[in-house]
Amino acid sequence: MSRLPAWLGRLLRRAAGLSGLERALVSVAAVVAALVLGGFVVLGSGYIASCREPALYLFGTSFCFDPVEVYAAMYQGAFGTQLNQALTLQRMTLLVFTGLAFAIPYRAGLFNIGAQGQFVLAALGTTVTLLWLGPLVSGTSLATAVLVPAGLVAGAAVGALYGLLPGVLKARYGTNEVISTLLLNFIATAVAIVMVKRFFNNPGIQGTVTRSIPEAAVLRPWLFPTGSRFSVAVLAGTLALVVGFWWLLNRTTLGYDIRVLGRQRAAAVFGGVDAARTTVLSMTIAGAVAGLGGALYVMMVVGRWQTGIPALGFDGIAVSVLAGNNPLALVPSGVLFGALQSGGLAINFQLGIPRDLVEVLRGLVILLVATPELFRIAGRYLRRRGRLRPAGGEAG
Amino acid sequence: MSATQTARRWVFGAAAVLAVLAALRLAVPAESVPGRMLGAVLDVGYAGSVLRLTVPIAFAALGGIFAERAGIINIGIEGFLIVSALTSVIVARRLPWAGVTGPTALWLAFVAGVLVSVLVAGVFAVLTVRYRSNQVIAGLAVWLVALGLAPFITLTLFDSSSPTIGTLGTWPIPLLSQVPVVGPVLFDASPVVYMMLLATPLAWYALRYTRLGRRIRAAGENPKALDTAGVSVSRVRYAGVLISGVLAGIGGAGFTVGQLGTFVAVGQTSIGGRGFLGIVAYLFGNYNPFAAVGGAMLFAGFDSLQLRLQQIGALDVPSELFGILPFVVVLVTITLVRRTRVPSALGEPYDGEE
Repeated sequence: MSRLPAWLGRLLRRAAGLSGLERALVSVAAVVAALVLGGFVVLGSGYIASCREPALYLFGTSFCFDPVEVYAAMYQGAFGTQLNQALTLQRMTLLVFTGLAFAIPYRAGLFNIGAQGQFVLAALGTTVTLLWLGPLVSGTSLATAVLVPAGLVAGAAVGALYGLLPGVLKARYGTNEVISTLLLNFIATAVAIVMVKRFFNNPGIQGTVTRSIPEAAVLRPWLFPTGSRFSVAVLAGTLALVVGFWWLLNRTTLGYDIRVLGRQRAAAVFGGVDAARTTVLSMTIAGAVAGLGGALYVMMVVGRWQTGIPALGFDGIAVSVLAGNNPLALVPSGVLFGALQSGGLAINFQLGIPRDLVEVLRGLVILLVATPELFRIAGRYLRRRGRLRPAGGEAG
Repeated sequence: MSATQTARRWVFGAAAVLAVLAALRLAVPAESVPGRMLGAVLDVGYAGSVLRLTVPIAFAALGGIFAERAGIINIGIEGFLIVSALTSVIVARRLPWAGVTGPTALWLAFVAGVLVSVLVAGVFAVLTVRYRSNQVIAGLAVWLVALGLAPFITLTLFDSSSPTIGTLGTWPIPLLSQVPVVGPVLFDASPVVYMMLLATPLAWYALRYTRLGRRIRAAGENPKALDTAGVSVSRVRYAGVLISGVLAGIGGAGFTVGQLGTFVAVGQTSIGGRGFLGIVAYLFGNYNPFAAVGGAMLFAGFDSLQLRLQQIGALDVPSELFGILPFVVVLVTITLVRRTRVPSALGEPYDGEE
């Protein structure tokens, strides 16, 4: 740290908090450990699976998959071509939204497991709003200027309402928000599917799909290849939002209330923080942010509502936990999980390995990050070993 | 409220509901839509199906009780169910290669499922008790790992995403199974249903009257006192989490080999949130095994009801909405039932012993 300019060091410390460096180390160690464990999962499943041409021979045993090959293919799939990089960044952008949806309530001491449901319903809200508004403004020069904000607002509003519900249940009835948001995910998906089947189905296509949103509302790729479905403008907006939320948490009264409530609930309430209001607000804001993610998913990625929406809401938990629930750290954490997602597609496509492997890695990362003590003890052990080694080159 | 009072209330409540339904059945014409719906519910087949669907929820609830009473939040119970169900299917499919088939293979698969669930519970216990993980996040992680492992392993091992095995079938108990109405429901059931009917009073008795049970409750309520009495809080908590692994394993593997005979791994797994329903069941039942299993039966009742109402096709409601019926009921229930008293030291790592 000493070689960095003083102001940069100050900025880093302020951004990441006092124990930021330690937390960053824990996160990196957790990712590395998860990748190693994931490698063993690949080895193990390759051992029990049967295949015609084993990819690897070790100690006289044949394995169907080679972990190194798998990770290499994932890396290629995530960063190899411009198109792949665009996919990684696209996923990263969406993950920052669902990550924020977990991070903000977490800072207030609440677990929002419901980003997935908020995302799914908001995506439908955006689609329906755009399908309704589209014909009214089509052909006019204002189409994009009306449709893009309308789509974003619709998504945020639907998400906010679906976040408000568990927030109110928690504040008013003390309903455990882990359970309520989890159950609301199951409910959201079913409700969305029923709504689409009954009211908004595209009769021209098999399956549960709506019609496509108007062209004017689609966020087009810029700087990246045409087929990439990733807009740099959206990335810029996302980064601005992240800074905005960092500011909200660290520089505003609401942010202060949220943080104090999360750290010392009793003291916060005694000190005059309105716990009910802060609870409802933080859940509603989280829902709105997850909803914005859902809106972007429709307007930038798929262009309509369809079944099989990826589990970006659950990935958001991983992204946020890995980032220590710090808005700024969501960006690198989002890049990592975005890369895992695009890499997962690549291993499925190239090696025929189910991309669900990525979900295993996601769970392992969360599990390890939730256990910083493991790495502190490991660090202490390594340091002691280093000191005891006789020919260490160090005095003492 | 004492346990006997709770139990009495449940019995009276259930009897009252049945009586009202039976009265309605007589009052409403049998061919009308409400009549057909009532007919679907007031039926021996329905009661049996409710019991079978209660198995995973009830064992998840009993498992959750043991972990939480010891002071460890176990949100990962759904993951234990998935892992044990997955293991039992793999073993049941692989054993015929070694020449083991039929019920023997299924029983071995069941045991393997429970063992793997205990193994996972052991890892979870080490992380939460020794390394002081954030329990909610670690539990979610267990669930998410299981949710990834299930399709990953199933798709690499089998051609289908839902490999099929047989089921254990029912074990009719001589004489008793001949009793009308009660016989076919209670005494001609799957062995896992018997296990559930036995495990519930056993769990209640163990928690209330055995030394381990008292220690488990102390570890969750007042670990300091337990420590002062010279008992290792960590050990008791390990025991609590491992027991929850055993029970959840019985729930997951038992549901698979006893009822489903298959494991759906992709999308919603065949466990499909039943572990979470179990968690709500014991919150609803205030950590009392009898009340929790009663709650599990209630949720299973709605689960089974949606299947039956779909079969009748009397109502023009999409199947997806029926599918979430249990979740909606559960959400309303946990909102309205607010008397849950959570163990005082729940979720707090104990660091008195060094």
